[in-house]
Amino acid sequence: MAARPLREIADIVRSKNAGPYRITFDILCREKANYETIRNSGAITPETVARAYGLAPSDISSFFEIDMANAIKITIRRPRAQGSAGEGDMYGCQQHVPLMNMLVPLR
Amino acid sequence: MPPITVLTPTGTLGYGFGEEALARGMSLNPAVIAVDAGSTDPGPHYLGSGKPLVSDVSIKRELTALIRAGRAAGIPVIVGSVGGAGSGVQVDRTAALVREIASENGLQLRLATIRSDIPIERAKQAVAANEVLDFEAGYPLTEGALDETVALVAQMGHEPICEALGAGADVIIAGRACDDSVIAAYPIWKGADPALAIHMGKILECGAFSAEPFAMDVMLGTVDEDGFVLEPGSIRRRASVKSVSAHSLYERENPFRQGGPGHEIDLTGCSFEQLGDRQVRVTGARLTETEDYYVKLEGARLAGYRSIAIAGIRCPTTIAALDGILDQLEERARDYFAPDPISVQFHVYGRDGVMKELEREHSPAREIGLVIEVTAASQELAHAACHQISGAMLHHHYEGIINPSGNLAFPYSPSDLDVGPVYEFSAYHLMKVASPTELFPVTLEDL
Repeated sequence: MAARPLREIADIVRSKNAGPYRITFDILCREKANYETIRNSGAITPETVARAYGLAPSDISSFFEIDMANAIKITIRRPRAQGSAGEGDMYGCQQHVPLMNMLVPLR
Repeated sequence: MPPITVLTPTGTLGYGFGEEALARGMSLNPAVIAVDAGSTDPGPHYLGSGKPLVSDVSIKRELTALIRAGRAAGIPVIVGSVGGAGSGVQVDRTAALVREIASENGLQLRLATIRSDIPIERAKQAVAANEVLDFEAGYPLTEGALDETVALVAQMGHEPICEALGAGADVIIAGRACDDSVIAAYPIWKGADPALAIHMGKILECGAFSAEPFAMDVMLGTVDEDGFVLEPGSIRRRASVKSVSAHSLYERENPFRQGGPGHEIDLTGCSFEQLGDRQVRVTGARLTETEDYYVKLEGARLAGYRSIAIAGIRCPTTIAALDGILDQLEERARDYFAPDPISVQFHVYGRDGVMKELEREHSPAREIGLVIEVTAASQELAHAACHQISGAMLHHHYEGIINPSGNLAFPYSPSDLDVGPVYEFSAYHLMKVASPTELFPVTLEDL
């Protein structure tokens, strides 16, 4: 089955702080069809995202499919609190690449 | 209730807005100018140190434009979370700028300042009374953590700002405030549905980030009996259902339920409707008041003093041996300075400097940017340890070395830079209060 990386289907894949202890990821599509392709593929789930980041499933704090906005939202507990020792991304805005590269099978 | 228009000039005061956008926005007859000036987003430094996030130069330039516009139109100007963290020193600093602006521009106005500092003893009483809940920190707030806290604020809701409006304030300089509440305060004071006003505040607080093309720029919201309409100030931007609904997800975890001081907003029934090319109408937010009124505490503690060294590595033999070298150097430095503790961190750009333990790709880098970071109880010790490591690394011998004349390319002399005090978040918890205004005193001053 053919598969394409998420970044070729979604229009925006972003990461950002949601408070000092969480990072939230948004996958946004302009076209409903693209959103549905991603949503219906089953490729993006709390379990698969955890695996893509080497996290335990319990580190995924929430997962939403938001049909109204053609969006999927995933939030993780950050391994290091914002601004704590050794933490390297104060705004949490450069953590999106493993998600962007996840493969979505095409039917 | 007649419709009420709020003009938000930008997402963070000091980060800019277009003159044309402000002029056009003011021509739409807003009832208030309201803007946010801070967040925890830039990290714990601004709360801990009391230093401003944005320079006085930028704050004064933008506040001058806003206060002049506000005075010309006879409408109030509200700024929340001033200085970046909204601490008392930051309120004082911004209020001093307002006094300069009033005097230099010959403006008469009533200034209200609202402090949001929480006495440590007040928070300790709440801990002892079991009235503090963990929000997302993952650990309970303790008396010990409060003893270490050098700055503690709480996010006010709209109520203290409404109190200042009721007292006739023309300019309101508020300490830490929930972003939405800064925007929502005036409409709620005038009788708007708090659910709609707060939902509008959530979207407007980032200025024209909810428009396309997005920018730090002017955005307007007009709330009526059943909903609100968003429109960017600049004619070169538009609000679309996509831009607004996408922004509703930004920087927050739950897109459907969002807690704030004393309430929870339910957005499951919301709908977005395109009006013409540039406006979006939003309806359907619902609000539930929480049984008890909780405010969010934000505290910072001093973690020590930091020195850093920045260096590049190009030799593939050094890059291949890097992990072992860094472990050895860290251990050697700890032994050297024992019993004084030091915290050593290496940010290895080109390997995993950005993502640390979340990095899953491990292809070898052609070039490494290395940041050596030491935090210790004094700046002198941090500097000494940082140089001990950078110097030892420069001349470190390892198996397979091909170039023994130096392992690090330093861009700077001195190689070691003192960064100063380092702060960490020490509180990010919810505290029960007796009333929404109890901890946020309003002070009035006629200029």
